Amino acid sequence: MNTTAAHATLSPVHIAARVAETFDGLFATIDAWRDRLQDHLEADAAPTAATLDPVVESSAVTALAADGLITGSGFVAAPGLLSDAHWHLAWWLGGSAGIRRLATIDDPSNDQFRDYTTLEWWRFPARTGSRHLTGPYVDYVCTDDYTVTITTPVTVGGQLLGVVGMDVLVDRLERELLPLLRAAGLPIAVVNASGRIVTATDSRREPGSMLRLEGLDDALAPLRGPEPVSQSRVLPGGAEVIACGDTSLALVVGL
Amino acid sequence: MPNATGRQDAARSVVFAPLDGTGRAELVEQRLTDAIVSGVLRDGERLPSESELSRSLGVALVTAREALEGMRDRGLVRTRRGRDGGSFVTYDRDAAARLLDSRIRGHSRIELRDLALHVSAIAGTAAEIAADRASNDDLETLSAIHEGADLTTAGGARRALGRFQLEVAAISQSPRLVREEVRLQSEAGPLLWLCLREQEYRDLSAASRTRVIDAIRTVDPVAARTATLAQATAALEWLVDEKVRLEATADLTGQGLR
Repeated sequence: MNTTAAHATLSPVHIAARVAETFDGLFATIDAWRDRLQDHLEADAAPTAATLDPVVESSAVTALAADGLITGSGFVAAPGLLSDAHWHLAWWLGGSAGIRRLATIDDPSNDQFRDYTTLEWWRFPARTGSRHLTGPYVDYVCTDDYTVTITTPVTVGGQLLGVVGMDVLVDRLERELLPLLRAAGLPIAVVNASGRIVTATDSRREPGSMLRLEGLDDALAPLRGPEPVSQSRVLPGGAEVIACGDTSLALVVGL
Repeated sequence: MPNATGRQDAARSVVFAPLDGTGRAELVEQRLTDAIVSGVLRDGERLPSESELSRSLGVALVTAREALEGMRDRGLVRTRRGRDGGSFVTYDRDAAARLLDSRIRGHSRIELRDLALHVSAIAGTAAEIAADRASNDDLETLSAIHEGADLTTAGGARRALGRFQLEVAAISQSPRLVREEVRLQSEAGPLLWLCLREQEYRDLSAASRTRVIDAIRTVDPVAARTATLAQATAALEWLVDEKVRLEATADLTGQGLR
């Protein structure tokens, strides 16, 4: 064990709060766009891709330029919302080559077309009406990257008009979170609400693998609801599960 | 490079030889032909313009033009001029069947075996890793693809097979396996899964999906790999049998290859 890290220990509860803080900025950004788009859509009874895209682009490009964690962002319209584009993704990507718009296939007769309303980042916020964190997963519909996607519904008068969202690369997230976890001086992992490891101090616990511990699935169940509950629990094997605020992620400590 | 051997010189000269359009035009033509023959591009569908094709495939404009000309010569597309002009798919069942037959005969048994092996390596490893890495949500997604499969047509069965294997690759959490799966599906898929023309093989592919789903549910990587490999092997055996049959027929009627 790294003795320097052991000296500067942070309590697991404190680390959980710091992990949540990493996401708070992203959540605030996404909530601000949602409000902006809702205002725009409330004022526009017959929205089109042509009028909406510039509104999305200005928010997305600003976020991509300002926050190094964000690698993609935009708005995905409910099918049929826009009169000039039945299926529509207005999504921008960051990267070393500069910011560019994601090319999408919006023609359902094309073999590469995917109905995005069947995907987790659409399905969950559509069903619960709340923000959702999808992944880590391989985003094969859009970018082929190993990604976490945060999406939140855009609604006007109770009707779902689409979702706004952002992508964060898992390896960038890991670079951000791992130093925090190491400050505990204990073996520790960040998992999503399904028990999939985002990152862990033990190098044999690979990001993307499932953490299989007795009782873990039950302990994570409250995080899978629309409003993730902040709580902690001790598993039969002795590991402690601590929710990271309302991110739907959890720390598993002492595994 | 004073000590360069003749062999190295030859290898170097290939590296820096001008990239002529011929080989690439054939690749483009093959890709589009496969899509037409396997029903991914439908009869009457308008193809992207030459400039759109050159952009999306990353080839020169003349290469795209050459590929389209080749397809026109073989009666796979027809070109209309004017405002609503463009190249349109002309799918003729008999012509398509002849093309597929010539593709099967155009590959040696060794090449077919190698193709199946490559597909097995990627899809088998993806299934093996996915069995260890699937969440309950992932299992639901796989079941939904399986239950939504249209087994009444060859195209429907192939789309289901492709979607399922792509999802399995995604569940393995490996971007590289996903990319390779996508590439192989367009390169090897149209040939390897020709057996899906027969109902028996469509049913077999569905049974194989059931076995893979069960293996993933019980976290049994070996069983997931085995079921995936068995399907590729059955497809290869069908291809080789078909090749033998086609060649025997050709011998009888005195036709040479092509």
